[in-house]
Amino acid sequence: MVSGLLAAIMAGSLVAVQNIFSSKVNEHVNSWATTAWVLGLGAVASLAIGLFVEGAQMFTLRSMQPWYWGSGILGIGVTIGMVQGIKRLGPTFAVSLVLASQLAFAVLWDATGWLGVTQTPLSLKRLLGVLVIVAGVLVFKLGDRQKAAPAPEPAGVR
Amino acid sequence: MLGSLFALLCGACLMLQNVANAQISRDIGTWQAAALTQLVGCLVALAIAISLRPGGWQSFKQVKPLYLTGGALGAVIVFGCVTAIQQIGVTMSVAVLLIAQLSTTVLVDLNGWFGVAKEAIRLPQFAGIGLMIAGVLILQS
Repeated sequence: MVSGLLAAIMAGSLVAVQNIFSSKVNEHVNSWATTAWVLGLGAVASLAIGLFVEGAQMFTLRSMQPWYWGSGILGIGVTIGMVQGIKRLGPTFAVSLVLASQLAFAVLWDATGWLGVTQTPLSLKRLLGVLVIVAGVLVFKLGDRQKAAPAPEPAGVR
Repeated sequence: MLGSLFALLCGACLMLQNVANAQISRDIGTWQAAALTQLVGCLVALAIAISLRPGGWQSFKQVKPLYLTGGALGAVIVFGCVTAIQQIGVTMSVAVLLIAQLSTTVLVDLNGWFGVAKEAIRLPQFAGIGLMIAGVLILQS
């Protein structure tokens, strides 16, 4: 429980930093080349850490299924959605929607238990909790309109 | 309208990818899953980049080297997401991740780190994060 919370906190903080760095790269380099660079470096780093932690075990893919190769392609949907969303809605509103939609799909996922996720039935309490969180996201992102020109939001990879 | 659909697509893919990675990690290991998923994503993005705009790679030289290292964080990010999803479920993971993400953004703004324009924390940000934490407490109650 605690380690799960800590893992989520660590990942979230790093996502914030990575998004800032990616947006700095994106100031000079187009979105696709930025995505390729960021993901490529992520793959190299994962490989390096995996080799360090597990040694040659790193290359024993115990029960590899063909569709596992496809998971990475979802990253393309992320980039297309983010770039096109920001183009049409502006960064503030687009990013708010991205965050809210993640939460909505997360609840759906827990409720269905697809892909081996531990099933947690939808209850009024869960629905309320998520609505309050989404409200928080919207207040955070849309709350101060006086900031006339919003800082260019990253074309983040996640 | 179309813009909203794109934003929804982005959120859905992010979610789906995290859950898929959690499943893949159970079978082949977490670092393996992190390497595989980012490698494939990189190759597809690279193919698109090359087909849309061949050349132009020298623009990478204009980026400060520090900012080029951000991608490496992806290894730990995927590891963290997978671990969280396996231990506290998808909704809780996403909620806590977003709170940490937005709080870090505020912290960066506050201190003007990484060449970001320095900004004081504003009431909506404070209230927003407060609401999100309240939501997590409701989920957990």
